[in-house]
Amino acid sequence: MDFDTQVKTAIYSHIAATTRTPAVAEVAAEVGAHPGEIREAFGRLYRKRVLVLQPDGETIRMAPPFSGIATQHRVVVDGKEYAANCAWDALGVPAALHADADVFSRCEQSLEKLRICVRGGRPEPVPCVIHFAVPAAHWWDDIVHT
Amino acid sequence: MSFFRSEERVDEWCRAHAVPRRPLMSLEQLWSLALAWYSNRLNPDARRPGPDEMRAIFTAAGLQGPFWDPQSDMFS
Repeated sequence: MDFDTQVKTAIYSHIAATTRTPAVAEVAAEVGAHPGEIREAFGRLYRKRVLVLQPDGETIRMAPPFSGIATQHRVVVDGKEYAANCAWDALGVPAALHADADVFSRCEQSLEKLRICVRGGRPEPVPCVIHFAVPAAHWWDDIVHT
Repeated sequence: MSFFRSEERVDEWCRAHAVPRRPLMSLEQLWSLALAWYSNRLNPDARRPGPDEMRAIFTAAGLQGPFWDPQSDMFS
């Protein structure tokens, strides 16, 4: 396994276990590398569109489907609460973890609470639709606002 | 991309934000995309789908046209 893959795997393992995106120092300890090497790997993973970083260049904002900050999309799996980046990623969390989940979100217009239960490998029906405001060709113009 | 309770709420939101109404997706379609995109994400060999793979994933979910084409220049 190459170094960047080790770093990526450590990041996702950390999130799955703790619900939090790890700091550079935590990934460095996990893979046994210098923090500077981890920062460089974070930069490469960002350029490959695996991660989205905060402006400081080292804090993970997104490791899709997981969010590094609290959002309106919360996903509870086995009693752990994960933050997701968007509607797609809210369902991406149970898809990635291969687990039942309760997705707590809202109607973007009315702000009415929305709960989607994923059970046995599929979401239970809920009256809702999903709107993508940005065409696929432009998602990475500003991936935080799609 | 956001959840809405109904198409009417989408129309209200688009008017309020002066943005065009785009294609809508059902929960089943979104789940299909979530599985295609993320079910392998925690594996070391996982990678983002390329443009052709993206088109195939969208088509399998019933989503076709330039809006879903990652290389379309229609919206530039």
